Amino acid sequence: MRAVPRQQGNWDWRAAGNFLGGGAGTGLLLFAALGGIAGLPVGPIVLLALALIAGGLGFVWLEIGRPWRFLNVYFNPRTSWMTREAYAALPVFAAGLAALWLGPPMIALAALCALVFLYCQGRILRAAKGIPAWREPMIVPLALATGLAEGGGLFLMATPFLGAAPRWALLAFIVMMLLRLGVWTAYRSRLIAAGAPQETLAVLARTARAVAILGVWLPLLAAVAAFEVALLAPVAGACALAGGWWLKFTLVTRAAQTQGFALAHTPARGAGAAGPGARPGWTGRTA
Amino acid sequence: MTRYVMVADLRRCVGCQTCTAACKHANATPPGVQWRRVLDMEIGEYPDVRRAFVPVGCMHCADPPCMEVCPSTATRQRDDGIVTIDYDLCIGCAYCAVACPYQARYKVETPRFAYGEAPTESEAQRHEAGRIGVSTKCTFCVDRIDSGVEQGLTPGEDPEATPACVNSCIAKALHFGDLDDPDSNVSQLLAENQHFRMHEELGTGPGFYYLWDRA
Amino acid sequence: MTGPSPDQDRKVPTYCYQCVAGPDLLTVSVRDGVAEEVAPNFAAAEVHPGGGKVCVKAYGLVQKTYNPNRVLTPMRRTNPRKGRDQDPGFEPITWDEAFEAIAEKLNDIRARGLLDESGYPRVAASFGGGGTPQAYMGTFPAFLAAWGPIDFGLGSGQGVKCYHSEHLYGELWHRAFTVGPDTPLTKYLISFGSNIEAAGGVCGVWRHAEARENGIRRVQVEPHLSVTGACSAEWVPIRPKTDAAFLFAMLQVLLHEHPQDALDQPFLRDRTAAPYLIGPNGYYLRDLETEKPLIWDSARRDAVPFDTPDIVPALHDRFRLAAVEIGPDGQRWEHEAVEGQTALWRLREHVRPYTPEWAAEICDVPAETIRRVANDYLAEACIGASIEIEGETLPFRPVAITLGKTVNNGWGGYECCWARTVLASLVGALEVPGGTLGTTVRLNRPASGRIESVVPGPDGFMDYPMNPTDRDSWQARPNIRNAYRTLVPLAANSPWSQALGPTHLAWLFQDQPPENLPEPTLPEVWFLYRTNPAISNWDAPGVAEKMARFPFVVAFAYTHDESNHMADILLPEATDLESTQLLRIGGTKYVEQFWRHQGFALRQPAVAPRGESRDFTDIATELAHRTGLLEAYTTIINKGSVGVRLQGDGYDFRLATDQVHGTEEIWDAVCRAASAELTGGAETDGLAWYREHGFKLAPFPHLQWYLYPAMVAQGLRFEQPYQERLMRIGGELANRLHEHGIAWWDEQLAEYQALPPWKDFPALWETAAAAEGGDAEAYPFWLLTARSMQYAWGGNAGVQLMNEVAGNVAGHGGVIMNPAAADRLGIADGDMVEVRSPLRATRGEAVLRQGIRPDTLLMIGQFDHWKTPFAKDLDMPSMNTVTPMSLKLTDATGSGADIVRVAVTRAEGSA
Repeated sequence: MRAVPRQQGNWDWRAAGNFLGGGAGTGLLLFAALGGIAGLPVGPIVLLALALIAGGLGFVWLEIGRPWRFLNVYFNPRTSWMTREAYAALPVFAAGLAALWLGPPMIALAALCALVFLYCQGRILRAAKGIPAWREPMIVPLALATGLAEGGGLFLMATPFLGAAPRWALLAFIVMMLLRLGVWTAYRSRLIAAGAPQETLAVLARTARAVAILGVWLPLLAAVAAFEVALLAPVAGACALAGGWWLKFTLVTRAAQTQGFALAHTPARGAGAAGPGARPGWTGRTA
Repeated sequence: MTRYVMVADLRRCVGCQTCTAACKHANATPPGVQWRRVLDMEIGEYPDVRRAFVPVGCMHCADPPCMEVCPSTATRQRDDGIVTIDYDLCIGCAYCAVACPYQARYKVETPRFAYGEAPTESEAQRHEAGRIGVSTKCTFCVDRIDSGVEQGLTPGEDPEATPACVNSCIAKALHFGDLDDPDSNVSQLLAENQHFRMHEELGTGPGFYYLWDRA
Repeated sequence: MTGPSPDQDRKVPTYCYQCVAGPDLLTVSVRDGVAEEVAPNFAAAEVHPGGGKVCVKAYGLVQKTYNPNRVLTPMRRTNPRKGRDQDPGFEPITWDEAFEAIAEKLNDIRARGLLDESGYPRVAASFGGGGTPQAYMGTFPAFLAAWGPIDFGLGSGQGVKCYHSEHLYGELWHRAFTVGPDTPLTKYLISFGSNIEAAGGVCGVWRHAEARENGIRRVQVEPHLSVTGACSAEWVPIRPKTDAAFLFAMLQVLLHEHPQDALDQPFLRDRTAAPYLIGPNGYYLRDLETEKPLIWDSARRDAVPFDTPDIVPALHDRFRLAAVEIGPDGQRWEHEAVEGQTALWRLREHVRPYTPEWAAEICDVPAETIRRVANDYLAEACIGASIEIEGETLPFRPVAITLGKTVNNGWGGYECCWARTVLASLVGALEVPGGTLGTTVRLNRPASGRIESVVPGPDGFMDYPMNPTDRDSWQARPNIRNAYRTLVPLAANSPWSQALGPTHLAWLFQDQPPENLPEPTLPEVWFLYRTNPAISNWDAPGVAEKMARFPFVVAFAYTHDESNHMADILLPEATDLESTQLLRIGGTKYVEQFWRHQGFALRQPAVAPRGESRDFTDIATELAHRTGLLEAYTTIINKGSVGVRLQGDGYDFRLATDQVHGTEEIWDAVCRAASAELTGGAETDGLAWYREHGFKLAPFPHLQWYLYPAMVAQGLRFEQPYQERLMRIGGELANRLHEHGIAWWDEQLAEYQALPPWKDFPALWETAAAAEGGDAEAYPFWLLTARSMQYAWGGNAGVQLMNEVAGNVAGHGGVIMNPAAADRLGIADGDMVEVRSPLRATRGEAVLRQGIRPDTLLMIGQFDHWKTPFAKDLDMPSMNTVTPMSLKLTDATGSGADIVRVAVTRAEGSA
């Protein structure tokens, strides 16, 4: 056991899948709601969004050690964001499924519930005090922003089946992309400023390049171009989705270094003097 | 009130891992699971280097992030500050494990034994199926404390009421006792020495103090 | 009397003595007949010098018991070919078949004679662990004693893996088989590589933790930041094998940078040979009539025999006098008027060139550090102070120096041990409270009493049982294969001496027969127990090859391992938690076992023996029975060969010599005798009592931690600083060897110097590498090892728990190296690296740590297992693979040092 922060091993791709599915599903549901209001036939999209969210939760079910006790997840709404997420998922599915019969208002309601659900997901990460990259408060807006951007991306990918991509969707997508860019940049700045495990920052720095190209500039360019060349809209969407998913997958499976261990002081030994503290494997502040 | 805490004297600890082994004996933890362990930390650069041995494990925090996140309420906190896990409630989501800044929690998915698939006689006798797929961690040997207290013994002083790691420590570096009792061994140690708690800035209020110099 | 009841939940008191730092007293929790948990025996907390705690190794005993890889039936080899590449084809046999096979061999030997054509015993036995296997062998030593001559000198790493020079010189100078500080009182401790926090066991760790609390300043001088360095006030990273230069410079500072009266004049005058006068040939100037060494009496202004009453010995001067010098073989130089210089004067002149500035270059330690350490040592010695111990006033000198392995053995070991003891003498800190103490005797007699071993010898010093070097008594034909009595006078001839000779010579000579010694032969029967020479020796693979030639090997086998791979018969003995033995504990004993009590502890079966494993005592009894030795065997037990005489004043628990006695019967008698011995016959508690209580103790005087009172009482002097006796004996030994045409020990003979000068010790290893490999620069690193508390002596590399917990201590299983040095070689943390000496290469994972010199590599442990289950899959490196076994690297005491020059490269296939 080394003292430096190490990639956590408790949550793997299955847990990441929940954040991928939940974020993209929520975003897609929001866009579906807008599409519904705009009169588009979004029924299958709603189903896809619900499937994504359900799939994510299914992945978690695969990860937990005692899957047949899954109902115990509802026991701690008082403090656990995981319990709250589980509760939040219920109206999403209720409204989402109802929307298949009751139409756009219910989709909007489902989308609103999903936003709460996604917010809970952000708070799940933020409450994970053991992982510096997660407990950074900007993780919540980041989860929301990238979820919406991913959902927007998925919606653009679906537009060939809806006819051409609506201009409002492209505009909203661009706004989401810019929002994600802003939050992602702020998130990293805050992390660097606050101090973080060196490995976390190194992984994020390496990821940032891919995220910038795949998740920001390519989709932005494609989305702008899609005003003229409609075929580029799904491309923009796919890039945005891939970039977001890569970012979240990285955050869970590669940039989730543990806190590690730190000493405020090194001890005196006999007549020898005490020494300075240390926080091995960290940047920024020391103990 | 009672608040049980552990005190580790970093000046005395030699990193021998006797506490690690004693904990494994007392709690029958499977290979790789160390509720108590001692880090071997190196600080500085050659030739100005220090090396410190740092016992770690569950800090039994006053404000335990593991308990806050636990969706099943399996993780709880007793009035005496000991943070417990109800293995029958735990769903094994490991959320507590990522919430703990001290890497103190373990989840073992399948039975694990010292020598391959089959348990030794001792392991077979002590294997608890209820610990598979759920979160586990240091309990401060809570059963020992409870039975000791019932017999009128003092945790931290009487071995029968004291965590195994403390009992085993060959450097007398580990101490256990009631922080709320100003006359307790741990209160005295904290009064007489300078100390810190790990990652105090995270606000978890760890119940594990490190002595590093005289007061 | 009944054995353990399998159905009861119990806490069984017993002991762990896997390593020399023990024994530790513990309890084993047993539920439904299965051992579950080891814990300290809390009943011992008040009487044990380590708070009654138990070392980490003892926690491996439960897994050791239930290890599925155990050998649980006797086995016989079916493949007559032996070697690492051969499958022994072991097949299970009955105990009866096993005994029959062994007895047949033994009885054949008895019929033909116990010695072979070279005069060597036909039966050999090797045990590991610094004598600790005896704590598990039950009555087997009685069987061996009943047998007659046995060669115990086939080493498994002794000499190179132990404090060898310290053992021999330590016993000579202050009855110190091992040397320790008086830790509870010491204020300033300089530790040259003594890894006490890992090697000192529970008592060592406990005492030093207490001392830190009391403000001890420990300076750790060592090439790497060991566990002990970590827990010290200061770490001084010294270049390997240059410790003697540091110590010599300390002597220089004390003798040349301080006034003479800054030293402990009374101690030097009365308790050492510092005032003895030395003649021009280097021998004591002796009284013409009595031949006693002369001292200059400042009052009379005349030279007088050293033991003249009411004299004021001069310490720092030269005088002219008439005297005689007596050299080797009685050679005499009679002087009418010759200059005699006091030993202290000679010493002062001797160390004049060894300034801190001189040493700084050699040691790669700043001169100011060396000077500061020397000055602090002197300042902290409190010269003149006294302390009361149990009503007696003794000097109080709270400074000590300890030496670790590789410092106190092999070339340079003599110089370090000598300088350390001289430094203690100069400030009067030898064998007094706070100072440098011996712990136990293994060469002097009686074994049980260090203080009792203080008896007058020649020239005012303690006697010492040197192996004779005079023409009539010198042993020209060695009694065993390592020739300890022939080559090493200091090895003496106690039961321990065979294993404290140059034990590797028994291996080395097999391929390089020594000129003018009898032809090396192989033992016809070789017993092995708790030892694994095939991996634990220097040049271990070479030793394994030689072992394969042995015709009949009987191994007490816990699991299959690298050594019993060559065996013909495997015998499964009941292990630590399954068998019975009473052990003498307490008093003073290595490593830092300084008790206020003494007595006995019982090891008893916590659980029933697994499989067909048998108690060692039953095995020994049966062997004695089948070889017709039962009467002698039982008689020897009665005489106390298992630790206690069964008859004493007012008690007689002797066993009938014409009957076979079971384990319980034998140990019950031993327990009763032990109780009686301890209580002056008042108590006769037997096995049942010990089974319940675990141990029985009586007080041991604190005063007996120190030799000083006994020295004063007998008017004796410590044989310091001048080694006249050694010089003379060395001269005699040279005469004997040369008379017999033996010139191959000449380099070793050069060590017999009265005042050893600095020699370029590092160059010996550099030259050796060059001789083997052609180019010294091709091997730019020093490779060292360090003690692992989790593994040392335990034979427990196949115990999973030990591997798991040892993994928490940096460097286990890998090659520790400095990150800057690694960077230059393109080696990253975790890379697989190859460490190569001219002999061979070993591989392991690079563990980059700042706490090591850039010119040094460190491998903890000796893990080149290729057969031992579990251990063989750990993929660990071992320096035993790359360390050459060499006569050239053998010092006069017959020891080597665990160090080798190597190159390191990133191994192919590294990630």
